[in-house]
Amino acid sequence: MEAASHAAGAHGEPTSFIRRYLFSTDHKVIAKQFLWAGLVFLAVGGTLAMMIRWQWAFPGRPVPVLGALLHRSGGVITPATYQSIFTMHGLIMIFFAITPVMIGCFGNFTIPLMIGAQDMAFPKLNMLSFWTFVISLVLITASFFVQLGTAAAGWTTYPPLSTTVGTPGAGQTLVVLAIFVTGAATIMGAINYVTTVIRLRAPGMTYMRMPLTVWGLWLTAILNVLFVPVLGAAALLLTLDRAFGTQFFIAGAAGVKGGGDPILFQHLFWIFGHPEVYILILPAWGFISDIIPFFARKPAYWYRGQVLAMCAVTVLSAVVYGHHMFLTGMNPLLGKGFMTLTLIISVPAEILFLNWLHTLWKGSNRFSSPMLFALGTVFVFGLGGLTGLYLGTIATDLYLHDTMWVVGHFHLTMAAAAFLGSFAAIYFWFPKMFGRTMNEPLAKAHFWISVVFINLVFCGQLVAGFSGQQRRLYDPYQYTFLQHLLPLNRWTSYFAFALAAGQLLFVYNFLRSVFAGAKAEQNPWEIGTLEWTMAPSPPPHGNYWPIPTVLRGPHEFANPEVKKALGRDWIGQAEELPSTAASPARTPAASGK
Amino acid sequence: MRTLERVDRWVCLAVRGGLLLLPAISRAAVEPESGLGLPRDVSKNGHLVDWLMNITNVFNIILFIIMCVWMGYACLRYNRHHEAEYDHGSARRSVIIALALSAFIFAVVDGTLFVNAISDLDSEVWNYEKVARDPRTVRLEINAHQWSWDTRYAGTDKKFNNEDDVLTWNDIKVPVNTPIYVQLTSTDVIHSFYLPNFRTKMDAVPGQVNRMWFEAKQTGDFDIGCAQHCGTHHYKMKAQLTVLSPEDYRAWLAEASANAKRAYDPEDKVAHWGWEWKEFY
Repeated sequence: MEAASHAAGAHGEPTSFIRRYLFSTDHKVIAKQFLWAGLVFLAVGGTLAMMIRWQWAFPGRPVPVLGALLHRSGGVITPATYQSIFTMHGLIMIFFAITPVMIGCFGNFTIPLMIGAQDMAFPKLNMLSFWTFVISLVLITASFFVQLGTAAAGWTTYPPLSTTVGTPGAGQTLVVLAIFVTGAATIMGAINYVTTVIRLRAPGMTYMRMPLTVWGLWLTAILNVLFVPVLGAAALLLTLDRAFGTQFFIAGAAGVKGGGDPILFQHLFWIFGHPEVYILILPAWGFISDIIPFFARKPAYWYRGQVLAMCAVTVLSAVVYGHHMFLTGMNPLLGKGFMTLTLIISVPAEILFLNWLHTLWKGSNRFSSPMLFALGTVFVFGLGGLTGLYLGTIATDLYLHDTMWVVGHFHLTMAAAAFLGSFAAIYFWFPKMFGRTMNEPLAKAHFWISVVFINLVFCGQLVAGFSGQQRRLYDPYQYTFLQHLLPLNRWTSYFAFALAAGQLLFVYNFLRSVFAGAKAEQNPWEIGTLEWTMAPSPPPHGNYWPIPTVLRGPHEFANPEVKKALGRDWIGQAEELPSTAASPARTPAASGK
Repeated sequence: MRTLERVDRWVCLAVRGGLLLLPAISRAAVEPESGLGLPRDVSKNGHLVDWLMNITNVFNIILFIIMCVWMGYACLRYNRHHEAEYDHGSARRSVIIALALSAFIFAVVDGTLFVNAISDLDSEVWNYEKVARDPRTVRLEINAHQWSWDTRYAGTDKKFNNEDDVLTWNDIKVPVNTPIYVQLTSTDVIHSFYLPNFRTKMDAVPGQVNRMWFEAKQTGDFDIGCAQHCGTHHYKMKAQLTVLSPEDYRAWLAEASANAKRAYDPEDKVAHWGWEWKEFY
């Protein structure tokens, strides 16, 4: 394991404001840029969600407060506005909130720090990735202001609805372009992450000593490199269909004699789209697989199994996508094949889950805010995984497909789990990132409000789906068989409003702590990974000089030898044991297998 | 607004009823469901889906309780006052426990789902051969478009796309205890034909003909919905399924087919969207 020391690293910190904070090549600054952008768009996406919930609770009534944005219709959400709202809620949350926070921010921040690198492998590409992402934000924002409004074909943008046949406005074109551009930004970042992990690990940082956070983010980056180009291709073909009159995805629609195939788009979309749901959850799995042992003060249970399970999910994620298309008239044999593969993916998920539970067992669990959020993530992911069984099985999927059950299920797995997992990461790395401390009681209050209401909201959606309510209905009560669900939906909306209100605690805590929080210690959580043991809070430009030599894995807790020698229950990854300096607990050679 | 709509619907129904001269068939409105949970099951196969759904519920409740008890107990019992055990969980015994537990859950839960789903699909849900060979089977062609469901009956001659075809709009009549073999397509965007009380749905995709089948076990009126986002008025793309006794159905079809033949207009190209039935089994 050679350590490629990076030339642009330790010296030459830029001094001008523009080079330091705006066009910075420092991975830590870029991480913060992604974090701010992601949190702002998380608020936008959340606001759109509240408008959907209002419509389901009080269909056709003027929206309070936010109604000012809908002045043309007197504050009422119209059917046309409604379809834009749910479309943009999905797209913004996935591509412009979760992706920048989890991958853009924490991928950038943690990968070099945790593997002992001075920066990313390609710092300028990293900067380019962020500013390309900004272009896509501009496109998305612009789409709201053009005639006929922004995209309205659902986040899945199925043609022919997403072609000019169904959505003639320029907004849809801008949004498809934005997805293409953000895809380019993601690929740049992903190439960087993949290369950095392969080339820039510190001496002794073998693959089996990497923190699980890095494993999660690395596998995410590999999926991104492989599958975002497919999305890019689909977006490009769709743009051609929309702007240049090609007919890749149009067949027999509205007076058009196209030879294309709308289902082709679904194949392209979901061969990206299913890995995408793992792209959004793998980083969270990584965070909590580290945070749980950190706060259980106990080594991660079966680390190697955890790594193998994540790898297995990564591989399988590419071959189960057909379960999104069981109803498109696919060959029954193909459908059964996809069902089989989908059910098989539950095996590695069970291994991950059991390992988390085993890590908690006989630990010395400390319930600091990152741990609480990690446990919350385990809980919602458990619920989300169980509710997926009905959808992977064709016979039950025929009833539940395209209902609120699907909405509840994927919100539990990739929204709630990604949301709580992101907050676990934010509360955990905040001291290292900003050099300041967040208010812990406020963080705990934020956790309890979030975890209670997020479960109530998405379980409410599950119940609505089980009762048959289709998703994306402007007014579900048009249907007689759904009329009795109004009280359920109204309660779910109240819970959603409470969830949103609870986030103000975070906004306050975050802003106050960034600018006026108490100064953070180097290692407040008392754990052994490199960023906490070998660098101050915040780490300087270039992170480490000299580059540390790694001696052991990331979760060396409760080791009796360490306790005897150092009097504490943890030891740094690059820290030598004084009494046994000649023969460290595990030599690089011994554990490099 | 809602009252207006209701009036509108009754006027429509009255007009249609009058045209068909069949006061015997009362067009009662769809009865609302009560309570949370699955809507009424009125299909021959629905119980298969419901059984699978319920057994999954049982498995999930058990697994969920185990998860909660495990997490709760570990958090309460092994708190900061407990000294953590130094265990990497990588000993052969630990690995075997983790693998065995995963394998056990997979074999029992996923195994049950897999075996039953495959058997349901092969014997009933996706068994089009059985439906196609059944002499009682009624065949329907459905053309979905923004935002309604057009349905075509072969009429008395059992051939599609000719002058005695019966066409209905957002109004599908079928006989009870008879397999209904549906072929569907769309002329604009993708829709999804959804029968909540029959536990099934199928996408209507422009450029291709999809198929599905269902069989009602009781008469009555039921909602038909669109399950795939299809544009601004997706939420209003609903139709009514009326399940009739075989006698009522035969009488209605004969009457409607005769009317259709009388009113046939060869110039009306828009009405000729049907296709030759594809039996394909």
